[in-house]
Amino acid sequence: MIPRGIEGYRSLFSDYTELRFQENRAVNIVLVDGEVLGNNRSEASGVSARVYRGGSWGFASHPDLAAESVKAVVQAAADNARFMDSRLKKGAGPLPREPGRAEMDFSTKKPRLDQKGLMEFLKDLDAEIVRGCPGLTSRTVALSCLDMEKSFIGSDGSLSYSMVPRAIIYVTMAMERDGVPYDLYDVYGGRGQFEDVFQDPAALHPRLAVQREDLAGKAAGVHAEAGQKECILDSDLAGVLAHEAVGHTTEADIVRGGSIAGERLDTEVASPLVTMVDFAYEALGSTCPVPVRVDDEGTQARDALLIERGVLRGFMHNKESAVHFHARPTGNARAYRFSDEPLIRMRNTAILPGEGDLGEMIASIDDGYYLKRFNNGQADSTSEFMFGIVLGYEIKGGRLGRGIRDTTISGVAFEMLKTVSMVSRDMHWSCSGMCGKKQSIPVGMGGPAIKCRVSMGGR
Amino acid sequence: MTDREIARYALRRCMDAGAGKAVCTLTFGEKKELNAEIGRMTLLRTTFDTALGLLTLSGDRKGTTAVNKLDPGSIDAAAQRAMALAAAAKADPANEISEGQPPAEFSCGPEAPDLDLMHDRLREFLDDAGRLYPHTILEQATLEHRVGRQYFLNSNGVEFLSRVGQFGFSLSFTTKADGKSSSMNFTGFTAADLGRPLRDHARVDALLAESTRQVVTRPVPEKFQGDLIVTPECLDDFLGFLMDNIGDYPLITGTSLYKDRLGDRVASQKLTVHARPLAAELASRYFVTGDGYPARDATVVDHGILRMFLLSLYGARRTGKDRAANGGGCWIVEGGDTPYAEMVRSVERGVLVCRFSGGRPGPNGDFSGIAKNSWYIRDGRIDGPLSETMISGNLASMLLDVKDVSRETVNFGSGISPWVRFGGVTVSGK
Repeated sequence: MIPRGIEGYRSLFSDYTELRFQENRAVNIVLVDGEVLGNNRSEASGVSARVYRGGSWGFASHPDLAAESVKAVVQAAADNARFMDSRLKKGAGPLPREPGRAEMDFSTKKPRLDQKGLMEFLKDLDAEIVRGCPGLTSRTVALSCLDMEKSFIGSDGSLSYSMVPRAIIYVTMAMERDGVPYDLYDVYGGRGQFEDVFQDPAALHPRLAVQREDLAGKAAGVHAEAGQKECILDSDLAGVLAHEAVGHTTEADIVRGGSIAGERLDTEVASPLVTMVDFAYEALGSTCPVPVRVDDEGTQARDALLIERGVLRGFMHNKESAVHFHARPTGNARAYRFSDEPLIRMRNTAILPGEGDLGEMIASIDDGYYLKRFNNGQADSTSEFMFGIVLGYEIKGGRLGRGIRDTTISGVAFEMLKTVSMVSRDMHWSCSGMCGKKQSIPVGMGGPAIKCRVSMGGR
Repeated sequence: MTDREIARYALRRCMDAGAGKAVCTLTFGEKKELNAEIGRMTLLRTTFDTALGLLTLSGDRKGTTAVNKLDPGSIDAAAQRAMALAAAAKADPANEISEGQPPAEFSCGPEAPDLDLMHDRLREFLDDAGRLYPHTILEQATLEHRVGRQYFLNSNGVEFLSRVGQFGFSLSFTTKADGKSSSMNFTGFTAADLGRPLRDHARVDALLAESTRQVVTRPVPEKFQGDLIVTPECLDDFLGFLMDNIGDYPLITGTSLYKDRLGDRVASQKLTVHARPLAAELASRYFVTGDGYPARDATVVDHGILRMFLLSLYGARRTGKDRAANGGGCWIVEGGDTPYAEMVRSVERGVLVCRFSGGRPGPNGDFSGIAKNSWYIRDGRIDGPLSETMISGNLASMLLDVKDVSRETVNFGSGISPWVRFGGVTVSGK
């Protein structure tokens, strides 16, 4: 546990200062073919300070939370800022102030399960796979829980406390066909501690059977045909598209680094069917997977509208980029560990749902693919993106056909999004993602299914 | 208590809590990091990290925990927790700890940074790059010094201390000119000292120069089967499939294509890959494996023959195969006989792949992805930078179809790699 009442530390500040106490708590269990390969709990906590002086930053951190250590950390950060300022002499003015004050605690109110209880839940899933999923050569059931608890105080008057947990179960199945191995994973869970996210393992059983059938379809399937294809990207893919291909391109530090988005503000970059937002706390009436009320610079977080009906409208900012772009900070400065400095990061990035029907979207394609699940994604500042596809089906004559083997899709987002011709009314959030921009950090990604043209890898 | 006494105390508390066997790893890390954004220095960062990892065996049941607090109360709680985790686990006779060995201490690299020198080197780099490549945006540059000390103790009497200090540099950059952008590229290295300018390490300067010629790109004119020349920067992306499939998880699950291939040909005879954590020419070394043995240098692929699985003590006991001499990494790929320029001349049609952005390959080795910051090769000459170019094939087959390995190699501090020419790859454009 970290302290909540930290107002008293404000007296240590002389220059602009941020002070953050943080603890990350993790539980990881891995069952492989019923054997326990991983069985771990960890905690890492500490304090960090960041000081701004004349346009230069100093940062310091230490795992010790005692008052003397906190004082030393603030002093070390100030010394580092002075070192930089004495050499760089940037002479920059003050940072913008939009201080937030909030408490946000998603801790469960239910009795906590111990490791044995968690293990029993996973063993039930493992037993169900053995019972209901014949023909597998291997199965893995893994649990990953992460609690991120932060207390923050800033010299600008900001003060916040947050405890944002998530609990994720990953299931991987493998089978062989003609001596060649194939595998497929699925993800269950989301924001909340285990007891709030998972109640009854039987509720997950039907999806295990679907996963097994999808794997069998893939193993019996075909290689995708390389080249430009008309595709339906299901909600998971639309979410990662929003995150990787547009989201990163519109992070203000990436824009300053030469992103193509810098020249496209207020121009058409997508079909009018596409609206995209990085949500702070709430989206479409529900709390987001990774809710942020006050960011790690102390800014009151607000939604960042990125694309509005096809037109690029804005970027995601921290305080410094807001000064550069003459914009308001959006509260996108986030840090993963206590020893990390806040960077401009996405929170919950999504394409908004439209009015289409998934069945009608599939029926509208004569020769293409329905792509459902990815295993990784990357994009660069030109908005050129790549996603690894691990689950998809052919569409022939408006009907789903054979499964396809692992492949890759790619394109230039600001061109590909102009080909979006249908957007479904369904909306799905993924909360299992970790974004890896210098530090990894949990992010939410969401979207409906979209119909578009992309480049397929394959043969 | 001294650090060593803390580690001994933690180990003792695990045994007091009822462990039959126990392991304690106590790690201290200290880092000084200078950050630059958009070509200007922005931040100086000082961090101290502590990590206490405990592993307990209760019979054949295993529990592990980690904390970063070292007061007796926190250590006692961690030891109790490790035992509670073990009690919840299923017994597995493959669980074991390393046997008793003589105590040893290992050390390499600089203990402390010269902050003024770090500042001067980074400033020199930013000034030089700005002058030589004015259209290149140095999105982010980081120069750090880090030193880590780790105590590894177990209840069989093992007691190792290792200390590794090193400098690390990372850089991401894009070139913009006439309203067009190159793809973002990045590079980096680790080093034992800062005796040379940063841009003289690895291929930092060469990549910056290449970026200026990658602003105006085009897709490949048509789909074809051809060769890839993979640069040292992204060779790990292509060898990674083999290395990932000879470790614990794929061998225990039996999903690895290589599960029964020890001693067999898995690559062309032109390919030799060593894992050398003790190599003096590397800055990022390690001395003790995660399961508690002194690391030894070893050859993984010897002229195409698979010589070693990367199995831990647990993985070895689960699979009945031999434990690895080290924990992998510190890859040194031997250079070949062919000069790089001659390698390019020998390609009729192909791609010089300088960065690869691809999906994780499936267990059968099928892969596809985009060749980024890459060049089209036609009739033995580099014919221009590419965009939106997809490459696909099978990594297991490609390893068997290595056509050339360059004489030249590049030392990144964490490994050493040559250029490698592979055949039989599908290349397609927009």
